[in-house]
Amino acid sequence: MKRTYLGEFEELVLLTVAVLHEGAYGVAITDELDRQTGRSVSISAVHAALHRLEEKGMLKSQMGEATAERGGRRKRLFSVTALGSRALHDIRAMRDQLWDSISPSALPVISL
Amino acid sequence: MNTRPPSQPVEPPRWGDRLLEWFCNAHLLEEIQGDLYERFTHDVQQVGLPKANRRYWLNVVQFIRPFTLKRQPEHYSSPGLFSSIMLRNYLKTSLRNLTRHKVSTLINLFGLTLGITACLVIYLITNYELSYDTFHPDSERIYRLIGESQYGKSGEKHPVGFVPNAVPKAIREEITGLETVAAFHNISSDVLIPTGQEKPKRFESSRHDELVVVDPQFFDIFRYEWLAGNPQTALNEPFKVVLSEQKARTYFGSIPLDHILGKEVIYEDSVRVSVAGIVKEWVQPSDFNFTDFISFATIRASKLKQSINLDQWTDIWSASQAFVKLPQGATPEQFTAQLQRFGKTHFTKNMELQFTPALQPLSDLHFNDEYDDNYSRKAHLPTLYGLMAIAAFILLIAAINFINLATAQSVQRAKETGIRKVMGSSRANLIFQFLSETALLTLIAVLISLLLVHPILSLFQTLTPEGLTVDLFSWQTLIFLFLVTITTSLLSGFYPSWMLSSFVPALTLKGQTTSKGGENGNLRKGLIVFQFTVSLVFIIGTLMVSRQLNFMRNKDLGFSTNAIVSIRPGWGDKGPVLAQKIKQLAGVERVTMEWFPPMGQAFMVTKLTYRDKKKDVEMDVSAKIGDENFIPLYQLRLLAGRNYLKSDSLRELVINETYAKALGFKKPADVLNKLIRFQDKAFPVVGVVADFHEQSFHEKIGPVFIANMPQARNISVKLATQGKQVGDLKTTLASLEQAWKSVYPDKKFEYTFLDDSIAKLYEKEQKTGQLVNMATAIAILISCMGLFGLATFTAQQRTKEIGVRKVLGASVASIVALLTKDFLKLVFIALILASPIAWWAMHQWLKDFVYKVDLNWWVFALAGVLAISIALVTVSFQSIKAALTNPVKSLRSE
Repeated sequence: MKRTYLGEFEELVLLTVAVLHEGAYGVAITDELDRQTGRSVSISAVHAALHRLEEKGMLKSQMGEATAERGGRRKRLFSVTALGSRALHDIRAMRDQLWDSISPSALPVISL
Repeated sequence: MNTRPPSQPVEPPRWGDRLLEWFCNAHLLEEIQGDLYERFTHDVQQVGLPKANRRYWLNVVQFIRPFTLKRQPEHYSSPGLFSSIMLRNYLKTSLRNLTRHKVSTLINLFGLTLGITACLVIYLITNYELSYDTFHPDSERIYRLIGESQYGKSGEKHPVGFVPNAVPKAIREEITGLETVAAFHNISSDVLIPTGQEKPKRFESSRHDELVVVDPQFFDIFRYEWLAGNPQTALNEPFKVVLSEQKARTYFGSIPLDHILGKEVIYEDSVRVSVAGIVKEWVQPSDFNFTDFISFATIRASKLKQSINLDQWTDIWSASQAFVKLPQGATPEQFTAQLQRFGKTHFTKNMELQFTPALQPLSDLHFNDEYDDNYSRKAHLPTLYGLMAIAAFILLIAAINFINLATAQSVQRAKETGIRKVMGSSRANLIFQFLSETALLTLIAVLISLLLVHPILSLFQTLTPEGLTVDLFSWQTLIFLFLVTITTSLLSGFYPSWMLSSFVPALTLKGQTTSKGGENGNLRKGLIVFQFTVSLVFIIGTLMVSRQLNFMRNKDLGFSTNAIVSIRPGWGDKGPVLAQKIKQLAGVERVTMEWFPPMGQAFMVTKLTYRDKKKDVEMDVSAKIGDENFIPLYQLRLLAGRNYLKSDSLRELVINETYAKALGFKKPADVLNKLIRFQDKAFPVVGVVADFHEQSFHEKIGPVFIANMPQARNISVKLATQGKQVGDLKTTLASLEQAWKSVYPDKKFEYTFLDDSIAKLYEKEQKTGQLVNMATAIAILISCMGLFGLATFTAQQRTKEIGVRKVLGASVASIVALLTKDFLKLVFIALILASPIAWWAMHQWLKDFVYKVDLNWWVFALAGVLAISIALVTVSFQSIKAALTNPVKSLRSE
């Protein structure tokens, strides 16, 4: 299998698209990221990431409906492709594997 | 698509939007802009407008990233504007379109050709006039000495284009800082060339603009190419002459130029000079067409000093000319004070003539008719500007035709536009296509007018300036033509192409094309109104000018001009002999010896004094000199008293009514036997004649006296007309010539009819009249053709409507009215607009006349009626045709 590398931000965006499921477009993703991670990211950064992910084949998109608050412009709605899904699963599997390999005393205890 | 509900009035900063639209890749723009709008709306509610605006800007700027930027080429590539394939396609569609709409093509082509021809002809004329004497090296430093003259203390000040004979030399010596001063005198003389035989060859000439006696410095100011002789020394000595090449050839034939040097030429019968140089004529237009330059030193050394008194301060002749060249960087203003001081010191208070010299730029010489002389032909600048305006308006009218017809037909081409757009044509491409079509048409028009220019110029020779030479292929003309082509194409093509290319393909292909019909309709109407306004101004102008010309032709001048022939015997004492001979001829009613006829270009003013009870009344009075036959011959009406008696010298005076009134006599009879002083002698007034015109109608009738003086040398002959045929006139003229030959065997017989010489006074007005007539004809023609085209088109478009109306019972008359009404309304509006403009323009023109016709309202009404009937005839042809069409035919097919 050809390994695909995802940047941390890209991973977050990809995940958010998956979270939003059918309503994933620029502003919604930005807002969701803000809400979930507390990070304030710019729309342009999100767009750039989406653009890269689409180029990598991990996202696909289609034009959605237009709304008045957008000045009558349509949204571009994103969804995760099979490749994107595989990448997310790979990352998660790798992380799980790594977590599993950590001995319980290796990490200092932090109180949550 | 851009509608937003009214609850969302807030929009993001416009310039931010613009920036985004400018840099952002087209396929990303919609989603990005949409997202930004959404965020902005949200922000406005959350943090208020100012902050939202700022955030919007920030967001836009943040989007300037590599992936958002526009890339070349875009998704759909289209061939560039000038790709040869597309050009060929454009040419093909153009030709197809032009041949399909033959009527409008012909109208457009005709209009554009007329417009461009008018422009070209007028350009050639104005360019020729404006290029006069512009070719001299340092021409901006060359000035003519002119001045202001005043006779006596109370006389009027007159601007004069010449100086007293003694002035140039004194100026050369006294005014500091002038680079060169050169005087010259125009003379007029027959020329004798000794041939070695008994009798020299004689070249007759009565022209005043060929022979000059010049300072050698003349050639420092005006540069000639010397073909023979030494320019430095040629004219330094007396009895030398420099000839122009052509003149040398005329005198001496085709012998080598070097052999002509030293040959003898005789002027004024006894002034023998030898040829010292030969110069090449200038080819560029110039007022200085001198051909014989006699050295200045000859004057004092020969009998020329009798006619040219170089020490004369107290009189002034138009033949006495002087030019100066200023040093580099000097301005004429620097010399004003010096020249005024010069005038004050040389023309002291008790001298008869007061004269203040001044400088006139060379560039002014050809246009300023205040400063008269014997050689330059004056061009009338306002007329030239008027011509340019006419050319521009005619071209504009032609362009408007094009716009109107093209936009009217745009519906038919909407499908083409739609298809082209669907196939990927950009708007720029479409605009370029339609413009190239216009350019093609314009180019054809330009080519046709190039062919027309020569015939037209020769046809209107009387209107074109003398000596006009046309070089159609000089680079200036070519540049002008290029500019005209471009301007005309843009002027007439830009709006239609912009409009055509704006059609939305989805709509046009579905068949909806009249989306902007109302807007275009208004524009077309506006343009028609403009066209007819221009035409109407021209029509009113024509009417007024021809009325004034008629008035001048037909108004009673106060004397008879019919069948009077003027003969000028010139110097010498044989005049009376000739008059005596003519008197005895059959077919001659009366003969008078005179200075000049009562009315004409030449007249003379002198000072007369009348001693009232209390004081002297001194006045400038025009002198009409003739023998006792003068008054009866011209049938001047005597109001009181009698004609003066036959005498050899001045004994008695007859004055006109104006003079009598000016002297304070209420009744003409009161002035009889009063004494009037002329040159220190008193003469009795024996008669008073009714006022008559002595100058053109531009001038007021002033005081005049009529008397006999021995200097009356010219002859006027009244031919008997009663019961005579034109053939008799010819025999009389032939016998006059015989009488002339018997007295002057060497001289050519020349005569003028008084009618003709009076008509000459109005040459300018006649020309203006002809020009206005022509402009009117062209303007009306082009406007009507445009109207005709539009009418044809509307009639075609409304075929179905007319069919339905007829089926439902409309009469032919009502349909014609329906189709015609709209157009007439426009002409009517044009009349309202044109009237004040025309009134103003004609008022300006008439201001120059003292005796003139009034600006009557009926002229405007007549012009309106004319324009309306012309429009009516033009439109009704089509309307009637449409109204008569059988509805079965027009409704048959769908």
